[in-house]
Amino acid sequence: MTPIHFAFSSTFMLGLAGLAFHRAHLLSALLCLEGMMLSLFIALSIWTLEFNSTNFAMSAMILMAFSACEASAGLALLVAMARTHGTDSLQSLNLLQC
Amino acid sequence: MNPYILTILLFAMGLGTTITFASSHWLLAWMGLEINTLAILPLMCQSHHPRAVEATIKYFLTQATAAAMLLFASITNAWITGQWNLEFMSYSLPTTLVTVALALKIGLAPLHAWMPEVLQGLDLTTGLILSTWQKLAPFCLLLQINPSNTSLLLILGLASTLVGGWGGLNQNQLRKILAYSSIAHLGWMILVLQFFPSLTLLTLLMYFVMTFSLFITFKVNNSTTINSLSMSWSKAPIISSMVPFILLSLGGLPPLSGFMPKWLILQELTKQSLAPLATLAALSALLSLYFYLRISYAMTLTMSPNILSNALPWRLPSNQHTLPLAITTSLTICLLPLTPAIITLLTL
Repeated sequence: MTPIHFAFSSTFMLGLAGLAFHRAHLLSALLCLEGMMLSLFIALSIWTLEFNSTNFAMSAMILMAFSACEASAGLALLVAMARTHGTDSLQSLNLLQC
Repeated sequence: MNPYILTILLFAMGLGTTITFASSHWLLAWMGLEINTLAILPLMCQSHHPRAVEATIKYFLTQATAAAMLLFASITNAWITGQWNLEFMSYSLPTTLVTVALALKIGLAPLHAWMPEVLQGLDLTTGLILSTWQKLAPFCLLLQINPSNTSLLLILGLASTLVGGWGGLNQNQLRKILAYSSIAHLGWMILVLQFFPSLTLLTLLMYFVMTFSLFITFKVNNSTTINSLSMSWSKAPIISSMVPFILLSLGGLPPLSGFMPKWLILQELTKQSLAPLATLAALSALLSLYFYLRISYAMTLTMSPNILSNALPWRLPSNQHTLPLAITTSLTICLLPLTPAIITLLTL
């Protein structure tokens, strides 16, 4: 595994661990999601640089566009949660238990 | 909801699934899945109820995580092998990661914890879309990759059938029962994925038909708990008399059409010398059958002690569109004799 591969893999795994173990705020979960998307953006950009051609250079921008849409949807849900639950604390997401 | 916005959202959902169906490049497949997820989010929280918003948040987080994992696996595969094609994934680590990501997307055990709560927070129509349409795109991807890890799929499948059976036993909310039924059926689909993929497709389509009829029945009765179903015999007696057949078909009893996928899957597993696994899967179907029978018991086989002010109310013509219900109920009950034709159709 090359150093670059290790770098973005470990960034992604750290973001994933942060997303899986978030305990307090929804905003920290959204931040970890953004961190994961950022690591994938870096991976795609360096992948494009390996080839010395601009053939696949758009892929990183496309990923960024979709990641931005997803982040804005997440933030809209954060606002909706603040309106209905009054907080972004994840412990208040307990209305749907058995 | 504003009809223009509803049109755009439904169109976007169809577009996302179609893009994933038509793609052979991992990036395009990921884009289709993202469009699909983003399009259903407004549909899920349109009532602005706290439960709906909570369900939407949980759905969004799990689906976004799964999509990111999928893209990470495909980028890792590209780094190792140098190509982005869906069908040519040959290394075990990216393939395993893709399988786990898609399992999180569709709600297989042990990645199923979001499914009952998310379905509980939605109204019945959106829950139907979530249970049926949203499973198409991930299954398309699962059918195209060549899963190299035999035991992972078997573990996912067996765990899903068992969790779907045991989890639904303590529920009286219909949407949670439908969620656990979905988990169990998805387990059956995954069990046979690496041996005979056409059976996965057959089980998926049969599950769509059966779940559609059950969801629409609950919508016609406007009921979300078992208790409120017990009043439906006086309002819509024909539907109430058909529901036990739908439920027994979901449970997989012959001669109803729900027996078809289970029979063929058990036959295929036995041919692959996995008879103990087939026995365990068949026994886990008994658990699901118990809560299906409980619903039919409450709805049709007994009269509940709820006070009926009028045992024979006026049966006014209803404005609900019951033609899809009629079609899917007929298919749920009568499709078993066509098994050879359906298998030939799907084994193209």
